[in-house]
Amino acid sequence: MLNASPPDDLAWSTAGHLAAEVTAGRLKALEIVEVTLAGIRARDPLLNSFTAVTEQRAREHARALDEARASGKPLGPLAGVPFAVKNLFDIAGLPTIAGSKINREKEPARRDAALIERLEHAGAVLVGALNMGEYAYDFTGENIHDGPSRNPHDFKRMTGGSSGGSGGAVAGGLVPLALGSDTNGSIRVPSSCCGIFGLKPTYGRLSRARSFPFVASLDHVGPMARSVEDLALAYDAMQGFDPDDPACVNRTAQPVAPLLRRGAAGLRIAVAGGYFKPRGQEALQAIERVAVALGVDRDIDIPQAERARSAAFLITASEGASLHLDRLRSRARDYDPAVRDRLIAGAMAPASLVVKAHKFRRWYREEVLKLFADVDAILAPATPCAAPLIGQQTFMLGDQELPVRANLGIYTQPISFIGLPVVAVPIPLSPLPIAVQIVAAPWREDIALRLAYTLEADGIAAAPRPTIDSDL
Amino acid sequence: MERKPIAKSKRRRAKVTRKLRSRPPRRISNRHPDGIERLVEASAQVLGIPLERGWTQGVAFNLRLIFRHAKLVDEFPLADDIEPAPVFYA
Repeated sequence: MLNASPPDDLAWSTAGHLAAEVTAGRLKALEIVEVTLAGIRARDPLLNSFTAVTEQRAREHARALDEARASGKPLGPLAGVPFAVKNLFDIAGLPTIAGSKINREKEPARRDAALIERLEHAGAVLVGALNMGEYAYDFTGENIHDGPSRNPHDFKRMTGGSSGGSGGAVAGGLVPLALGSDTNGSIRVPSSCCGIFGLKPTYGRLSRARSFPFVASLDHVGPMARSVEDLALAYDAMQGFDPDDPACVNRTAQPVAPLLRRGAAGLRIAVAGGYFKPRGQEALQAIERVAVALGVDRDIDIPQAERARSAAFLITASEGASLHLDRLRSRARDYDPAVRDRLIAGAMAPASLVVKAHKFRRWYREEVLKLFADVDAILAPATPCAAPLIGQQTFMLGDQELPVRANLGIYTQPISFIGLPVVAVPIPLSPLPIAVQIVAAPWREDIALRLAYTLEADGIAAAPRPTIDSDL
Repeated sequence: MERKPIAKSKRRRAKVTRKLRSRPPRRISNRHPDGIERLVEASAQVLGIPLERGWTQGVAFNLRLIFRHAKLVDEFPLADDIEPAPVFYA
């Protein structure tokens, strides 16, 4: 068991449970924070999820919450819930390193990222910043500067990336809730490798203000948790327009937590065929389990999905390179060589083809949106395989050998390319979990979350508690 | 003024030019993969990115990958009136 540490079952409680206990006065926020900090001290040397722990800030905030309760003030829906964030989110007083060496020299952030402010406003308590792939250009969770995030289900395996520390910290019981970012799959890939729930909302739904960008037209942010209800609680607390993010759409918040128990009845669901048909046994088994549980007996073809993945690849390479061009000129040696080579190559991609990829995106979006006239949700694998070994360079997909770094996101890229909301639901296969994507139409996070909740309630989806020996 | 007779070689050149013009436009091709290294070095110079010894191959590998994906995008026929959204919204 992963219990080389003192924390008791509090470490594995859901955010909803902790908030209810704090609100009822059965637990103090400070007690939860102390257990959480002790857990991080004991387990993080194994998992390498955290790059900074904000102990003092967490204790101060917890004390303030306990005092507020004692004086009869109302507490938020996440009262006393510890959470941590991928280290590309600004945390006041810390440099926003975004997994890099270069950003360590930045001035400390003066203000928290918008989503940290919103979660704390709901009563959640920030306990630290989490490891990630350098500048988010990564699907592995490995980091040359901070060391790899390690998968709680097998320390020799990847967490997936780039929100690798977020995946490891939640799956390993360090925090019940974490924030990640997802440009091409960086919430969904680690959710799959680590066996947790992840929500990538519709593009423009949640504010990215004061987070370090990667690819402006593809960047999303969202929560990762061990239960669907926790995803929904966090998501509801973070919704709402923010003029500080130019892509954030001015829409009324649509709380989903009250809708979760509506179930799957009446929803039209299909399995993505063609490009998405799994060639690996684990992905296939996971999709079949979900399809059977939801009574799905139809396939649907997402047109030109492979081309969509290529267009996303091209836009990512080019926009990412544009963001880093000055640093590539002056600090190229300070990048992880694997990231550096990709970014330099991206700077050389012809603009005429990149613009064509953007035009193709418009065509593809129109075609995919037509599908939602006939279905409410589409099921697709999240990753082609369960977590590969740390350092593994290639994996077999059917009879094809593919590089890990570029291909763990082959099923996630065509979905985020047009900003559709997705919930990654973990299927607890043995020995390693793997996730399935539930994809909905734009702004219909409620549908994807309802289906995820149904699968969790039926025991099909679950975030399995790690059961391996801590033998590094 | 009397026009000079067109030289045979010029006539041939014109014929070749006409032939080339009548061909469909060439798509990106991987027929000359070795050219990528030269492209990498020239582009790095123009962009002002100092390319250290030993980096060219890694960058060229990734640029080939980019061109492979770009080819797939390039091959897809798009109507002239499909415009990229200035700000992408789902």
